Amino acid sequence: MNRSFLFGRRSSAQLVFALGLALVVVFSLVPAVGVLAISFTDIRSLPFLPVHFVGLDNYTTFFSSAQLGYNVHALRNTLVFAVAVTLFQNVIALFIAVLLNQRLRGRTAARAIVFLPTILGVTVIGLVFSLLFNPSGGPAASVWSWFGSSSAFFGSPSLAMPLVIAVQVWSGIGVAVVIYLAGLQAIPQELYEVAAIDGAGGWQRLRHVTYPLLAPSVTANTLLCVIGALQSYQLIYVLTGPINPATQVLSLAIFTQGFGGAQGGVAQSQGYAAAISVVQFLIVMVVSLATLAYLRRRETQL
Amino acid sequence: MSVIGPTAVTTGDPSGAPTGDPHAPAGTPARDPGRRTGAAAPRSRARIALYVVMALVVVVYAYPLLFLLNTALKSDAEFFRNPTGLVTLPQLGNFVTAWEKGNFAAYLLNSVLYTFVAAAIGTLISLMVGFPVARGYLRHTRLWSSLFAAMLFLPNTLVTVFQLALRLNLYDTRLGYILIMASGVGVGPLLIAGYVKSVPKEIDEAAALDGVGYVRYLFTFLPSLIKPVLATVFILQAIGVWNDIILATILLPDQSKFPVTLGLFAFKGTYVSQWSLLSAATIIVAAPLLVVYLFLQRYLVASVVGGAVKG
Repeated sequence: MNRSFLFGRRSSAQLVFALGLALVVVFSLVPAVGVLAISFTDIRSLPFLPVHFVGLDNYTTFFSSAQLGYNVHALRNTLVFAVAVTLFQNVIALFIAVLLNQRLRGRTAARAIVFLPTILGVTVIGLVFSLLFNPSGGPAASVWSWFGSSSAFFGSPSLAMPLVIAVQVWSGIGVAVVIYLAGLQAIPQELYEVAAIDGAGGWQRLRHVTYPLLAPSVTANTLLCVIGALQSYQLIYVLTGPINPATQVLSLAIFTQGFGGAQGGVAQSQGYAAAISVVQFLIVMVVSLATLAYLRRRETQL
Repeated sequence: MSVIGPTAVTTGDPSGAPTGDPHAPAGTPARDPGRRTGAAAPRSRARIALYVVMALVVVVYAYPLLFLLNTALKSDAEFFRNPTGLVTLPQLGNFVTAWEKGNFAAYLLNSVLYTFVAAAIGTLISLMVGFPVARGYLRHTRLWSSLFAAMLFLPNTLVTVFQLALRLNLYDTRLGYILIMASGVGVGPLLIAGYVKSVPKEIDEAAALDGVGYVRYLFTFLPSLIKPVLATVFILQAIGVWNDIILATILLPDQSKFPVTLGLFAFKGTYVSQWSLLSAATIIVAAPLLVVYLFLQRYLVASVVGGAVKG
């Protein structure tokens, strides 16, 4: 295999490959590895300041009593956000995908509409929902007022998180639906015919034909969703700002510690922010590997 | 299983779905899961229920955008009098004001530049590294493939990317932002490597026999053979670049270099609670995307499916 280079000298291929790889290495891989390195330093956002090696100081700060409460809170928010988004997004997406896989008039348009938020992006979506949930006279506030109550919505400590989760699910469902639709269409029709001949009803066909054969899509969707949700914060940033305690997640903590807006004594320490990145990375690794192992085992059981 | 089961019941038996009672006529084969083959024609009540649910889904997605348009058409006075009601006297003045005050022409231009150049470079990189690995034209093929896969699970690099840009004098430059966005190739190399395997190697051989060099083959012959996957990679990356707000916040402090996402965010900060104006600005930003989406929608969705499933 390796000897079968057809185009004369191999060096041309090596050169082109190296050129392409160089950019990725410099701007993606080096920064990724560098996070670990600078998490042991006191590097700051201003250039030309001396950088010191501080050992595990940033990590001990992260787990110090002064920061631990805040960090545990952010970690809890991250997990709540990720679990809720993954759960709702997958269940609702599967429901919508099965619906839009029926022979219905206008289903193509419906698919396009559900996918639309992927194109619109977080800023537009953020503004749309800020408008819908604006406390002074938005439609949500009107509905609230029918029941004689009012709410600050994204500014409310108890409601901000559920709302952000809802908006994230709303905006992320298109991609999940499309993945499920692809999975549904890969299921051979013959299986349904055989099942129908065997006298399987709609529910039985769904349970014993559709669902097992859709397992790979479920795995893909769940994994994408878990990893995405553990790391995502753009929508939270746009909807509730960088320092709202109710929606503080680890990614936002990285942003605020590294680039301003942070509360507490270690503001603007990028070494500390890098340490949070490493902690977050470890959590993402553990959670996604555990999820993958669980889903794979379940796939074979079905 | 227990999670998805109940939903599946609702879907499988749609007569009960709108009222939220999934067990109503249990056991009836109300639904035809087939797309092409028509087994027993579904009962009309069930079909109506399906349409109702579909309409609900569409409303959940269309209402926010229609409400945005409704607000954008209101005058300030009308918004304060009746913020949620239907607009009575549609005005286009908000769009003019937002366009002038928001500097959106410049921001849109920036975004178009960043998106096209970064997505094009990213697609090119994916092609340059994905093709030889798929073909085994390099040593250590397996090592490179696993590297591409591992790149999907990198830690948050905000801090190091910032430091790198600072030290390479790329901070607050368009070039730096473009290079960093372009290098986030994500699934690109994997997608291209996967697709290339469906192109017969005999084509490579024939081209080589005819005296076509590797570089010429890679950049002029191959792209026409793998157009769909190139388009997918380009689109996935373009969506990512166009929608980015965080890296732009960090790397481009100079307002004149803002992409439109950041421009809109800044506009929101300036005109807090002037909702008619904000809505008009939001529509100005969303409109070009909506138009592009309208024309490319089928193709876009299909290519993202391909991308997502293979990735």
